[in-house]
Amino acid sequence: MKFLSLVLKSARRSKRRTALTVLSVAIAVFLFASLRAVLDGFNAGAEASSSTRIVTQRSTSLFFAMPISHGETIKSIPGVQDVTWANWFGGVYKDPQNFFAQFAVEPESYLRIYPEILLTPEEKRAFLDDRTGCIVGEGLVRNYGFKIGDKITLQVGIPIYGTQDFDFTVRGVYRSGGGAVDNQSMLFQWKYADERSVEKGQAGWYVAQIANPDQAAQVSGAIDQKFANSPFETKTDTEKAFQSTFVSMFGNINLLLGSVALAVVITTLFVAGNTMAMAVRERTMEIAVMRTLGFQSATIFLLIAGEGLLMALGGGLLGALLARLLVNPGFFPSGGFIPEISVNNTNVAIGIGLSAVIGIVAGVIPATMAARLKIVDALRRVA
Amino acid sequence: MALIEVRDVSKLYRRDAMEIPVLANVSISVPEGDFLALMGPSGSGKSTLLNLLAGIDRPSRGTIHVGDTEITGLSERALASWRAQHIGFIFQLYNLIPVLTAFENVELPLLLTNLTKKQRREHVLTALNIVGLGERAQHYPRQLSGGQEQRVAIARAIVTDPVVLLADEPTGDLDAKSAGEILTLLQRLNTEFKKTIVLVTHDPHAAERTRRVLHLEKGTFVAQLAASGAQAVS
Repeated sequence: MKFLSLVLKSARRSKRRTALTVLSVAIAVFLFASLRAVLDGFNAGAEASSSTRIVTQRSTSLFFAMPISHGETIKSIPGVQDVTWANWFGGVYKDPQNFFAQFAVEPESYLRIYPEILLTPEEKRAFLDDRTGCIVGEGLVRNYGFKIGDKITLQVGIPIYGTQDFDFTVRGVYRSGGGAVDNQSMLFQWKYADERSVEKGQAGWYVAQIANPDQAAQVSGAIDQKFANSPFETKTDTEKAFQSTFVSMFGNINLLLGSVALAVVITTLFVAGNTMAMAVRERTMEIAVMRTLGFQSATIFLLIAGEGLLMALGGGLLGALLARLLVNPGFFPSGGFIPEISVNNTNVAIGIGLSAVIGIVAGVIPATMAARLKIVDALRRVA
Repeated sequence: MALIEVRDVSKLYRRDAMEIPVLANVSISVPEGDFLALMGPSGSGKSTLLNLLAGIDRPSRGTIHVGDTEITGLSERALASWRAQHIGFIFQLYNLIPVLTAFENVELPLLLTNLTKKQRREHVLTALNIVGLGERAQHYPRQLSGGQEQRVAIARAIVTDPVVLLADEPTGDLDAKSAGEILTLLQRLNTEFKKTIVLVTHDPHAAERTRRVLHLEKGTFVAQLAASGAQAVS
């Protein structure tokens, strides 16, 4: 403890340089924690997927639809208990910048198969009874201020739905009861979209409820077999794999974000290391004097390394705190592909731990330089 | 009885393939309570000898005893501990740490001891009072004159109550008045506080204030003078 004030005084020697170093570590930790939160968000949907839901899409691509008659066929496959379907609507709310997902769903079966969509009985009834009604996630309510009874007009985004705007009435605000369902989407009745669709009776994907998760592969195979060699061949997978398909539409997110985070950390490491090395070079005389007074090499090493660690930890705490405050559900508009993003305690702890690693690694070489300094050579150099 | 015993010490510096002799078979005895001046032209080896006595450099040959300890046989770690306990070193350019106050600079060597904060404070204030800077304890080096800075450096050197004070041209960077005050202070430390002092200097006036003067030239002693600029005695 008696050396702590010495370390603090040394760190304050060049306030601007110390502040810039702390800031660079803070930015690195902020980015790292934020990117980890985004990655967590991408993975959370898949991780929280139900093991009793399987999803059927066109074998060619999710962008191609299938006839609505597939629903009954899927329901007839042994092991399937229930079926629902949905379409991607892709409408525009006022401005293309206002991006959120809208799904045209078969409402009764969809709410049955997704019990994670939490509505009051009144909201559910109102939604089912209104052909142009919709329900919105509470995340959308936060972002756009929607409330029950509001009219929402969406411009058509995909030409298949014609050119006329769609008007909706908000009938409910749903909460998400699990990571498989985000709360930033809008759901409305499939038949409302279908009646204006150029191609009638098309579903984007089917979701089947199966009785036994262990039979998922077997049931999936049976569904795809049923439509093999037809004009609308299918690809059925677990919900987890289907969620991953959405994520993969962004590219290899893990690799991309991981690479960015790594580049930021390594750059910061060099910046902090260079700053510490400069600080040691400037203090050659002082280190030689302290060694002359009887300070052990190990003590000098700890003082310099401690200074680096202190600066890095300061930056780490600042960066983690900022990430915790700023990276909230409104930070990254995922459009319903992934659950809401926020920096959790684990990411804060990892960020601070990372700053400690930066501090230790950046301080090791300068601290070793200082500890190995030959007193006589150092005194002669500055004399 | 000799407090410092230097026996046949040589020091060679290697620069690339060349060996440069700085000290050649030097032997001296410094009795306890002595105030010795080492004089000589630049490159004569006087500062090198002082560094060897301080244990911050090692001889190529020969032995150095200080008290009961042969410091030439100590490890780096043991030597650092020994310096902390037995040596007070005064530099020409004071070498105070600019971000620390006078108090904190003087306290620095005490951080290596087991003294409590209160005890350290007592020691520091005593040392600062001895050098006449008790009231400047909270001043930073930049707020002090050169003479005052050197007095703080002397306080730092004596705060651990070392046996030996080694001063490397302590007046070399000071005006005549400040230099005189520093020499008076060193004399006082020698006479009143019984410190054994070895002083390296170019200045004959500074040497006059010591008890003995040894002249070095090209790494060997050429003459020993009595105190107060008296005639050569050997």
